[in-house]
Amino acid sequence: MFFGRPFRIFRTASFALALLYAALFAGSAVVLGCIVYWTVQNSVDRQLTARIEGELQLLEVVLQADGSAELVRQVQQRVVYAGNLEYFLADADGKRLAGSLPEATRKLGWSDIEVPDQQNRGHTKTFRVKTKVFDNGYRMTVGDDLAPIYEIRRAFFEALIWTLAAFLGLALLGGILLSTLFLRRVDAISKTVAEIIGGNLNSRVPLRGTYDPFDRLSASLNRMLDRIQLLMETLSQISNDIAHALRTPLSRLRHKLETALIAERNSESNKTIDAALMETDTILDTFSALLRIAQIESGTRTAGFGNLDLSNLFETVADAFATVAEDEGKTLTANIAPKVTYWGDADLLSEMLANLIENAIKHTAEGTEIEITLSTQNGVPVAAVADNGPGVPDQHRTRIFRRFYRLECSSGTPGSGLGLALVAAVAELHGIELVVADNQPGLRMTMSFVAQPPKQAEIRDFTGLSLFAEQEKSVPLQAHAVPGVH
Amino acid sequence: MRILIIEDDMETADYVMAGLHRSGHLAEHVSDGREGIVCAAGGNFDAIVIDRMLPGTDGLTVVKTLRSVGVKAGIIFLTARAGVDDRVEGLDAGGDDYLTKPFAFSELLARLHSLARRPPLSDVETILRVADLELDLIARRAKRGDRDIQLRPREFRLLEYLMRNADRVVTRTMLLEKVWNFHFDPKTKIVETHMSKLRAKVSLEGEPELIHTIRGAGYVLRAPV
Repeated sequence: MFFGRPFRIFRTASFALALLYAALFAGSAVVLGCIVYWTVQNSVDRQLTARIEGELQLLEVVLQADGSAELVRQVQQRVVYAGNLEYFLADADGKRLAGSLPEATRKLGWSDIEVPDQQNRGHTKTFRVKTKVFDNGYRMTVGDDLAPIYEIRRAFFEALIWTLAAFLGLALLGGILLSTLFLRRVDAISKTVAEIIGGNLNSRVPLRGTYDPFDRLSASLNRMLDRIQLLMETLSQISNDIAHALRTPLSRLRHKLETALIAERNSESNKTIDAALMETDTILDTFSALLRIAQIESGTRTAGFGNLDLSNLFETVADAFATVAEDEGKTLTANIAPKVTYWGDADLLSEMLANLIENAIKHTAEGTEIEITLSTQNGVPVAAVADNGPGVPDQHRTRIFRRFYRLECSSGTPGSGLGLALVAAVAELHGIELVVADNQPGLRMTMSFVAQPPKQAEIRDFTGLSLFAEQEKSVPLQAHAVPGVH
Repeated sequence: MRILIIEDDMETADYVMAGLHRSGHLAEHVSDGREGIVCAAGGNFDAIVIDRMLPGTDGLTVVKTLRSVGVKAGIIFLTARAGVDDRVEGLDAGGDDYLTKPFAFSELLARLHSLARRPPLSDVETILRVADLELDLIARRAKRGDRDIQLRPREFRLLEYLMRNADRVVTRTMLLEKVWNFHFDPKTKIVETHMSKLRAKVSLEGEPELIHTIRGAGYVLRAPV
C-alpha cells in the first residue's frame, strides 16, 4: 500500500497529525535550546567578565601596595606563567612596559578586539578586554580569549540541527507508519462499501477484535448494514409478494375478460370488454415496469452482461424509430461512429435508448428534428439524444428521472411516467453518466459510458445470446449480396 | 399439435387448456415438475408449455433434464416474474421461447405455432416463396412476379420472418423480438409503421394483398385464395 500509492499517504489525517506533532516538538526544542543557550552563554560571559575584573583589581592593589616596578614585574611574570589571561601594560606615554596583547586598544573600559593568531597564521582570535588607567598613569589592559564561548555556540547549533533532523525523520517515519496502518483500515471499509454499492449486500467490514476506535466504527457500520440489509430484504420480499399477490388475480381477470370477449357476440359489450382489457394491460404494464426498475436498481441482475457492439445497437434502435418519427412528422437523424464497444446488457441498453428516443418523439411538436449521436471522446463512448423541441425547464431536469414524475405540459400525452426512471436505473447499472442539458432550443440527453469492463477472468462468453450474433445467424450475408457464395 | 402443459396454477392451466382445445389442439396437463418430466419424456409432444416456478422441481431444472434426455419438443416458459435475467436463464436452460404472465392466449398460440412449424431444413432454404412473392436470401432480393421490390435491411428481415411463418399469425411482440431483438414493449408504433411501409412495397395498387392484419392478434402473410 505504501509503496504502491506513495502520494496517498501524505494526504491522510494521521500523516498530517504526525507532521503537526513534529512541528510542535521541533518548535519546543528550538525554544528550549534557546533558553539553555542563553543561560549558558550568560553564565560563561559573567565568569569571563568577573575573572578579568578581578585580575584588574588585583593588579591595582599590587600597584598601590608595592609600586610601579612590582606591577611591571608581576605582569611580566603573569604573561610567562599564567594560563589563559592576556595582558598589556603601557606607561603614561603609551610605551609598552609588559604584556603580549597587541597595542590594539586605547579605548577605556570593555571592548572586543581582533588579535592575529600566533599558531594559526592568517587567522585572528577575538579577545574580550578591559582597559583601565591606574593612578600613576599606567594603562593596564587585561583580556581573555572568546574562543570557548564561540565553541559553545557552535556546539549548541550543531546539536540543535541534529535534534531537529532527528525529530523530522522520526516524525516522517512515524507518520508514514501510522498512515499506512490507518489507510489499511480505511481501505478495508472502502472496499466493503464498494462491494455493497456494487450489489453485494452480504459484505461486511472485517473486525480485528482489538476494540480500538476503528473496530468500534467498523462494528457500528456492520450493525447499520445488517439493518439496511434486513430492510431491503423485507422491501424486496414485500415487492415480490405484491407482485405475486396482485399479478395472479390480475392475470385471471385478464384471462376472464379475454374469454368473455371470445364468447360475447354483442359488439356493444365487446367494446366495453375490450376497453377493460386495455385498462388491465395498462395496470399490468405499470406494475411490470415498477418491478423491473426496482430489480435493475438493486444492481444484482447482471447475468445478461457481455461485451457488445454499441454502434450496432444504436444503429438498430435508431433505424427502428426513424420510421416512427417520420410517421409523426418529425425527422430522426443518426450520426453513429462504427466499432464502439461497451460492457453491458444489450436488451437493457436498447430499452434505455428506445425510451429516450420515444420521449423525444412523444413530447415534441411536428417538424421537430431529433438527432442521435455516438462517438468516442478521450477513449470513452459518448452518446446523445437531442431534439429542438420545447425542452425541459431547469428546475425539472433532475426530477424527470423520478418514478411517475411528469411535466404539467405533458399530462395530456399518454405514458406511465416510468420511462425515464427506467433510463436512470439502466444508466446507473451500467456506469453511464447521464446529463440533461439545454440544446438551445430543446433537450439534450448525454450519456458517457465511463465504466471499465470487469477483469478478463470475469468475462463469460455471451456470444450465443448476444443480440447481434443472433441476427447474424438468421440473416446470413446481411450487408450485401455475394453471388455464388452459399 | 400435441401440447403438454406443466403448470401448478389451475386457473392458468384451465385457461390455456380451454384455448388449445378451442383451436383444435390436443393438450395434456400436469401440475408438478417431476410428473412433467415423466410425461414429457415418454409422451412425444410437439410442444411443451412450462411454468418457471413449480412446486418441487422448478421449471428450469425440468427443462434442463428434458433436454439432457433428448427431448426435442419446442418449449415455452411461462413466468410471473418480469425479471431482467429470467429470459436469459430460461433460454440458457434449453427453452425456445419465453412468455410473461399474464399473456393473451393469441400470443401463446402464435408462439406455439411458430415453434412447431420450424422446418428442419430451414437453414438450407435459400429462396422463400408465397404466391408470386419471392425472397432470395442469398442475393438479398425480393420480387413480386417480375417486379423487383426495393427493401431496406430491416424490412427484408421483417418480410423474411413473415414468409417463414406464412399462413400463421405472428404477434407484434414476436416481431419485436425476432426482427428487432427488442425484448421490451415500445410505447410507439414501431411494428405498425414498418409494417405499413412493407405492405405498400409488397402490394401495389391492384395487386392482391398478401399481408393481413388480424385484429387483436397480429399479422399474417398468406397467398390470396
